[in-house]
Amino acid sequence: MINTSNGMMSTTSSSNAQSPGLKTYFKTPEGRYKLHYEKTHPSGLLHYAHGKTVTQVTLAHLKDKPAPSTPTAPSSSFSTGSGVRSAAARLLGGGNGSRALSFVGGNGGSKSVSASSRVGSLVASSSSSSTSTSNFDGKGTFLIFNVGDAIFISDLNSQDKDPVKSIHFSNSNPVCHAFDQDAKDGHDLIIGLNSGDVYSVSLRQQLQDVGKKLVGAQHYNKDGSVSSSRCTSIAWVPGGDGAFVVAHADGNLYVYEKSKDGAGDSSFPVIKDQAQFSVAHARYSKSNPIARWHICHGSINSIAFSTDGAFLATVGRDGYLRVFDYSKEQLICGGKSYYGALLCCAWSMDGKYILTGGEDDLVQVWSMEDRKVVAWGEGHNSWVVSGVAFDSYWSSPNSDGMGETVMYRFGSVGQDTQLLLWDLEMDEIVVPLRRCPPGGSPTYSAGSQSSHWDNALPVGTLQPAPIMRDVPKISPLVAHRVHTEPLSGLMFTQESVLTVCREGHIKVWMRPGVSESQSNNSETMLSTSLKEKPLSSGKVGSSSYKQ
Amino acid sequence: MGAAGSKLEKALGDQFPEGERYFGLENFGNTCYCNSVLQALYFCVPFREQLLEYYSSNKSTGDAEENLLTCLADLFTQISSQKKKTGVIAPKRFVQRLKKQNELFRSYMHQDAHEFLNFLLNELVDILEKEAQAAKSDQETSSPPEKMVNGPKNAQANGCHKDPLVTWVHKNFQGILTNETRCLRCETVTARDETFFDLSLDIEQNSSITSCLKNFSSTETLNAEDKFFCDKCCSLQEAQKRMKIKKPPHILVIHLKRFKYIEQLGRYKKLSYRVVFPLELKLSNTVEDAESEYSLFAVVVHVGSGPNHGHYVSLVKSHNHWLFFDDENVEMIDESAVQTFFGSAQEYSSNTDHGYILFYESLGTSNKS
Repeated sequence: MINTSNGMMSTTSSSNAQSPGLKTYFKTPEGRYKLHYEKTHPSGLLHYAHGKTVTQVTLAHLKDKPAPSTPTAPSSSFSTGSGVRSAAARLLGGGNGSRALSFVGGNGGSKSVSASSRVGSLVASSSSSSTSTSNFDGKGTFLIFNVGDAIFISDLNSQDKDPVKSIHFSNSNPVCHAFDQDAKDGHDLIIGLNSGDVYSVSLRQQLQDVGKKLVGAQHYNKDGSVSSSRCTSIAWVPGGDGAFVVAHADGNLYVYEKSKDGAGDSSFPVIKDQAQFSVAHARYSKSNPIARWHICHGSINSIAFSTDGAFLATVGRDGYLRVFDYSKEQLICGGKSYYGALLCCAWSMDGKYILTGGEDDLVQVWSMEDRKVVAWGEGHNSWVVSGVAFDSYWSSPNSDGMGETVMYRFGSVGQDTQLLLWDLEMDEIVVPLRRCPPGGSPTYSAGSQSSHWDNALPVGTLQPAPIMRDVPKISPLVAHRVHTEPLSGLMFTQESVLTVCREGHIKVWMRPGVSESQSNNSETMLSTSLKEKPLSSGKVGSSSYKQ
Repeated sequence: MGAAGSKLEKALGDQFPEGERYFGLENFGNTCYCNSVLQALYFCVPFREQLLEYYSSNKSTGDAEENLLTCLADLFTQISSQKKKTGVIAPKRFVQRLKKQNELFRSYMHQDAHEFLNFLLNELVDILEKEAQAAKSDQETSSPPEKMVNGPKNAQANGCHKDPLVTWVHKNFQGILTNETRCLRCETVTARDETFFDLSLDIEQNSSITSCLKNFSSTETLNAEDKFFCDKCCSLQEAQKRMKIKKPPHILVIHLKRFKYIEQLGRYKKLSYRVVFPLELKLSNTVEDAESEYSLFAVVVHVGSGPNHGHYVSLVKSHNHWLFFDDENVEMIDESAVQTFFGSAQEYSSNTDHGYILFYESLGTSNKS
């Protein structure tokens, strides 16, 4: 099976030649973002994968070892675009990553792999043996991304372009994945396939294994026994004790529990009305999935949990954003796009806003307090696909002291190959709404959410598409063409912005002020950043908003 | 052929729409440009219904002279009255008539589907107008023909000319563009209306139809050698010009300008750009905030890398199923397959199937009056 006839593996530098028209930096008011490095996959897969799958990326911080007593504050999914999941964990002190991952050094051989053979082994971290050690210099931060029939795992902090690991699926293509850094032990990575099949595995175990197949996997919805519809989006339930949800192209969402073996028979009643939301629970306690949510007619394109896990947002082919109370299994609110399908969604850290992007080329800002669209971002020249995210690390320059103006920074990527950064100033967008309160009193205040909801629409009402002139428009702060291919995702880390294109090329853009030497001096940087992150970002999100 | 037909029937099963017919069209040597457009028009339901109605009411009056309209009506009637649900039909008379009528389409060269559509719609309108004229002179006293729906302004623009007749072809496909020119000296806005059956849009790499429509209506400054003669200033002046849609058509036909003349090459080149088109669309470049929503129901696809050769196929939405028509062959496809016809993000790509003409139908109130 292993074909060593050519060295395509080692030629990735040429495979991903920088397009001459693309700049390696972009400017923002706070400074320059510089292209730091790129991550990609063996080029030979490109032709095979082309057009068949869209790459999504998940960020995973592996801890040194299963931590028995980790504080369980939800630090995950700050910047969850559908295409990109961020799941961060605190590193328990520095200098431990290398020990945990030293195993790879042993097998980081110099096997070159034929590009044409897609079942060829891509086990070796790369053809250069030096990478096998440099990969594990203390940072267990990995990028997990799918291309064609494979999942690739790259070390975020190494200079190496090539992945350290590849996993091939013989039955179908992996299309979505999510990582749970709070997993107490065992399985932390979930993967959804085009066939509807779902796997949960331990990321560490995959990295320890030398093979090119999933190891120690638990298989759910085997051969489409529950649903043969394509998986579209997958997410761990924050604080859900191993529960996760999988959205499918047929408008259904299934709830699984990783502790159950998945062998139990799960059958659900026929859906009577395709257009109605309904929840059905499995009849037997052993069954896995344990529940089916029928959400909409047509595909669910993306899902996202609020940081605290209380709410689940979905967007779909029918153009609706829907927000559910997850534990009550109840539709809370939602609304329609200007036109066309919605493709991606993401929550703000404080749970007050949801971003969506779709086929109307608009980035929508949905307010949970107002239960409606409060701003439209105009600036993309094509669909906004799988790429909206709040920058939870960004702190508003005028948030200190005054506390008057609240700003959120968010980003979006589209099929126009552009990354757009936006500033959302609450004063700007609230004012026009105050002038004409929608049947509400003018005494709009930053009161608690629940009190505000009481005088809003009845629970579960979906808003029709807004009229163009009724919605305040915002313009991007920066528009930068980052790839030659349509983009499929972005995410923010403390040090950088990551963009990914449909074909599976990832670019890491360093934030201003983060010099390359600094970022290479990885250990201290990462450990401190990870410690501070949940706290500081949470603060920015919530405290500064109160007026 | 029969086997293929039954396969489609099997695929649709119980869901085969009552009374609907899915027939492939035989190719008489490079007539795919014609077949692909005919399928799109056949599944333009209001157009089809009115054509069939025209046919049945016209048949009773007896031996009308053969023309493109009667040939088209004949073909559509032939399809819709088939006993079988699927199969293949040879549009022989129609193609013969087309070749007789227009020498452009006589050769066996590769033809442009958009040119054909344009020719056909204008030809149909001509025939209907002539007929109405003839009917009018036959019976002078009968009620006058319907007037243009869009009132006085247009009538003024046309001055003392008689009002143009509004045929059912107009009612389906005609929209009105207004060309606003604002003199930068005296600020006077001159508006000139023009009718259209389709919008031809310039395209850009990795863009959307929404963005192309925006560019179509973007403000253009006329200056330097391209100044505007302002009637008020009585001289050439700098001016700003923009095209807006004054009256959106019921059936919105969008033609993507994929065949571009490249001066350096001295010939046409096909642009394989990736241009995404949503299944639902709203026009934002209208004069009033119309905001009526359109739904995509047909796409004519050009297959091939160059402008002078290649193939045409069409994707058609009928009763919420998507069908793929390739001359004789008809297949069911998933809605998600439509996105494989957007184009290529890279110039040299193995994918050469590109959406070329898009047909959207307004979801708002159907074409009234």
